[in-house]
Amino acid sequence: MENKNYNIVDVLIVGAGPAGLTAAATIKKRKPELSVCVIDKAHAVGNHNLSGAVLEPQALHEFLNYIDTNLLASDEAKTILERTVTQDNINFFTSKRLVPMQSLVHLAKILGFNIGAMSHKGDYIVSISQLTKWFAKIAASVGVEILHGFSVSEIVWDKITKTATGVRLVDQGWNKEGEKQQNFIAGEVITAKYVILAEGVDGTVTRDLIQKAGLTREHEPLFSIGVKELIQVSPEQYEKFTKNRVVHALGYPIFKPFTGLDMFGGGIMYPYDDNCIAVGMIVGLDWKEKDFNPQDALALFKEHKFVKQFIENGTIVETGAKMIPEGGYRAIPRNPETNAIGCGNIVIIGDSAGLVNMIKIKGLHNAIRSGMIAAQTLTHSSVVSTFSGNYTKELESSPVMKEMRKAQNFRQTVAKFGNLIGMPLSILGNLLPKYDIEADYKTMTSKKYKLKGDKTFDKANFTALALIEHREEQPSHLKILNAEACKECAEKFNQPCVVFCPAGVYEDIHGTLKPANASNCLHCKTCQRKCPYDNIRWTVPEGGGGPRYKRM
Amino acid sequence: MSNYIVLVKQVPDISQITDNAFNPETGTLIRSKLANVINDLDAQALAFAHQMRKLKNDDTGKIIAVSMGPPMADEVLKYSVSRCADMAVLLTDRLLGGADTVATANPLAFTIRKIVKELLDDSDDYYIITGMQSVDGDTAQVPAQIAQELNISCIAYATDVAYTNERFEFTSIITGGSQTVVAKKMPIVVTVAKYEYPLFAQFALTRKANEAQIITWGAADINATQIGSKGSKTQVTRVFPPDKTTRLCQQVDVTELATIIVHLFKQEHQKQQDGDEKAPHYMLPERRNSLFDRSYEALVADSEAFKLLGTALESHGVTDIESINEELTTTLVTELEKSLHKKQVEEMLSALKIRTPKYTGDVWVAAECDDDTVIPSTFELIGKACDLADSLEVKVGVIIAGEKVEHHAKELIAAGADIIYTVENPLLKEFDPIAYEKVFSETIKTYRPQIVLYAATPQGRALGPMVSYNLGCGLTADCTSLDIKDRSKKGDIAVLLQTRPALGGNVMATICTVNSDIQMATARPGVMKRIPADNSRTGEVISCAASITKNDISLEIIKKEKSHGKINFDVPIIVSGGKGLRSKQSYETLLNDLSASLQSKLEVAVEKGASRTAVEQGFTERVRQIGQTGTAVAPKLYIALGISGAIQHMIGVANAETIVAINNDPSASIFKQSDYYLVGNVEDIVPQLVEAIANVL
Repeated sequence: MENKNYNIVDVLIVGAGPAGLTAAATIKKRKPELSVCVIDKAHAVGNHNLSGAVLEPQALHEFLNYIDTNLLASDEAKTILERTVTQDNINFFTSKRLVPMQSLVHLAKILGFNIGAMSHKGDYIVSISQLTKWFAKIAASVGVEILHGFSVSEIVWDKITKTATGVRLVDQGWNKEGEKQQNFIAGEVITAKYVILAEGVDGTVTRDLIQKAGLTREHEPLFSIGVKELIQVSPEQYEKFTKNRVVHALGYPIFKPFTGLDMFGGGIMYPYDDNCIAVGMIVGLDWKEKDFNPQDALALFKEHKFVKQFIENGTIVETGAKMIPEGGYRAIPRNPETNAIGCGNIVIIGDSAGLVNMIKIKGLHNAIRSGMIAAQTLTHSSVVSTFSGNYTKELESSPVMKEMRKAQNFRQTVAKFGNLIGMPLSILGNLLPKYDIEADYKTMTSKKYKLKGDKTFDKANFTALALIEHREEQPSHLKILNAEACKECAEKFNQPCVVFCPAGVYEDIHGTLKPANASNCLHCKTCQRKCPYDNIRWTVPEGGGGPRYKRM
Repeated sequence: MSNYIVLVKQVPDISQITDNAFNPETGTLIRSKLANVINDLDAQALAFAHQMRKLKNDDTGKIIAVSMGPPMADEVLKYSVSRCADMAVLLTDRLLGGADTVATANPLAFTIRKIVKELLDDSDDYYIITGMQSVDGDTAQVPAQIAQELNISCIAYATDVAYTNERFEFTSIITGGSQTVVAKKMPIVVTVAKYEYPLFAQFALTRKANEAQIITWGAADINATQIGSKGSKTQVTRVFPPDKTTRLCQQVDVTELATIIVHLFKQEHQKQQDGDEKAPHYMLPERRNSLFDRSYEALVADSEAFKLLGTALESHGVTDIESINEELTTTLVTELEKSLHKKQVEEMLSALKIRTPKYTGDVWVAAECDDDTVIPSTFELIGKACDLADSLEVKVGVIIAGEKVEHHAKELIAAGADIIYTVENPLLKEFDPIAYEKVFSETIKTYRPQIVLYAATPQGRALGPMVSYNLGCGLTADCTSLDIKDRSKKGDIAVLLQTRPALGGNVMATICTVNSDIQMATARPGVMKRIPADNSRTGEVISCAASITKNDISLEIIKKEKSHGKINFDVPIIVSGGKGLRSKQSYETLLNDLSASLQSKLEVAVEKGASRTAVEQGFTERVRQIGQTGTAVAPKLYIALGISGAIQHMIGVANAETIVAINNDPSASIFKQSDYYLVGNVEDIVPQLVEAIANVL
């Protein structure tokens, strides 16, 4: 044992979310002789997982039953999967009123239109942090090693064989001045036969792979940001809301027909346990208003009469923000030669690949299923180099890609034509031609968001409730590429990052834009997708940093 | 080859305390609601050991992590292996539960003996490295008591280590500065007070740790002599929440504010006296008017119960407790049925028979000198000792050791002492744990005081535990309040109640000494009040022998340094600046002006702090940052200039007695969290305030 090289594993999975843990547990279950290691940058399991979330049950059931048929009857299942959707409210909000739309959606479903997929009846309402925690327990029980607090800086790439030989971890122990501290440790190299990237939306390792392996996307990836608060309300309010209802609201305060305010997205309200209601706002990053902050929209949403009745006088117990990959089928990164989602011995699964169905705005079920498929293909053949090809082939013929293809035009249509025309037009689904869509960062204009509430959102308290921690002395993990661009941005757009960053990371200090509060970073990565000059790079800080979500 | 035994402890994570971690009824912290982590200073101790091994360039030296705790404490041992430990030993047994510091140090010392014998080939060349204290206990006693049990010395409050001329030189904090010392004898205990470079987790070592075999021993494996609650010398009598200050949120103008600030400090004495009037001074049972008067109980509920019983007894005309027969007892039980149980009545009746104090002897203070000056804490303790001795009707003794100390007798007597015990010897010129412990223990043993108080300074917190352990007495660390009370039901009359904060100030605990001849406590500097010197007082000086030899000197002090210009947030006033100050220049000017004016007017120390934004903006250095990241402070007065009041900042000042906020944003959230606030431009207001303070009469 003493001489065992602990830096070598058979399977290395980057990211301990639902996708990565499903893959890990399934691989280990199928081939216990393989060493399977999952690493994650969060301090502890579930800390960096944030979603709505409504979860379609089928993939989940398949996964659980594959590992152990008793799992669906376990105590965890009883608490984590306690709530299912029986009442599915889809509303259109005006500033004062609401128009129910669920019958429209229902009709669309019957008629077989795409938009019918917006229906959520029968889905579980879950906290993804808690779900992830459970998955980790399941994976550990079959022998998966899960290590938290380890950030990956890059893929170790063999140019000749075009395979990943492993990953390199982030250096630990630099100080702000860029000197090595006494406890400095250079990033370890982990050597692995197989690598699975399951790091979630807009992952930095995935970016590295795309670059090193020359992967391409047919479409620009698009993103949304979701900001969310968990609010503990009175038992009466909770009962009135019921624990089986989900509310999705389109319209106010991000879309007002004919006024020019036309952002993609909407508000959500989901019941959680312990008399809590999750209230969130999802906004497409292709907004045009230079002074817009999604949290302002959330604040206005919370003030809407319908929402307010359920949450008034409640206590915010947890907060968070995260992006959603919205590029859909055509934005999945692929090997231009083989079409593989990955390369040789390395594949991309879940949100890292962008497997979110944009009509449903759901990807959790696809994350789980892509994890299972990756595991099945990995264990099916002992030829390492065909892994990514086989995985992609299996995925294409699975329900994941069936629905991804079906939804492939929806988000782009709205992006191109706006909500008013785009939404109805998208009914035509795949009959529509392909559009070229601009990257999110290019959409900024000098327009202003006119619906600002009375006071600006209290970002300091928001970040406090996300329990963010980073080692304060480390260099900023947010890199500003060109200071001149910030100056130009200041004149043209008044530096939107200062406003839209949900954690208030960016500040103008004596005329220079700086990531002054980098240690408040929520890891949502919006900045690297929405800076109008594409001038910010989000790199991975030392392991263990970031928010510590418990019930997001 | 040197080996390193590192003691690590699993503690609740007090950096992330949520509101639901408090019991809504009692207000006390529910420990099980908190996550468990390795004690931060123990993590630093591991890094310290790792650094020592690296400096010595000796890969064969072993680092062995040791923890005592429940089975789940293996988490901290895994942590240790994932950082640097080669082996890990867990001492776990139900029999070890409920231990105080003595019953923790004792089994740990026995574990170390076993480790040395079985894992280190009986070599004496080892260091016991550990965090100076744990966040849950904050006592800092266990390491020194382990040293005492193993009969070895202790270097307390180490902050750095160097390896020169083939020996380790340790830098450690002492009162008023720091010193560099070398151990003259091995093994030795080193406690780490601050070592800034905790080790990072490594992937390979973490995997190794998850597979590591942790050596697990139980009580039977180590044969320790003092374990569990039976082996303990102290007992927690009550746990209660600290005074939750509700902020006044009062808007004031500049003149009002100046007056309020000045009076805050002027009224100090006034308040003290008022306080005394409210809580009646303890009186020995024989001095009380009634035979049944038990109004000085440790628990108020007990006093009330005794009052009921007393009234009943008086109504029956009882004048002698011994005369109460069974018949009367039955009557009393029936009469008091509504408010007291039968058992309680019986218990209390027998308790009333005991009227003599549990302890005899004087109240002593262990004096401490910084060079040839007696430190202020000693005088504060004498003030408290006078108060306690007054209640007990005994004398105040002060023990003072050094090369020449007799000349201090006069000022000690003027401060309230009655008898000065001097121990003089050239070998005692500098504080040496072994030599000092020897002479203190000997003198205390000879003159038998009932209470000994030490200052909770680096010296007092090493000496106190060693002396108390040697004499088999309990010791309570870092007390903020000391009172004489009765615990009649336990048969304890006139015992010392020692109250101290725990879990980082989130709970308060009142502790009593048990199974001991002497009650000992260390008290936090600056909390007790010295009484004005009275040069007409007289007292006695007793010169005591110091039976020590050169052999008793365990440390070689290479150099001592006074600290100047270091930031000390342990001061009565902190003036802090935030983003609203707008520039480094205005931060400096405004804070310096205000600090200087407060300092000269009120004659108290003032320190400057900053919010994180102010630090980020480059107004001042990072060490001044106050808040969740940065330092948590508890001054008497906290003045926030241009600070908005984000939670992260306010957590760090929650324990400040009075908070004053000045900000030009009328909706600044700090106003709701302050006692007095002023809306306006800081640059305009501070000069006005400076002037107004000077003008307050």
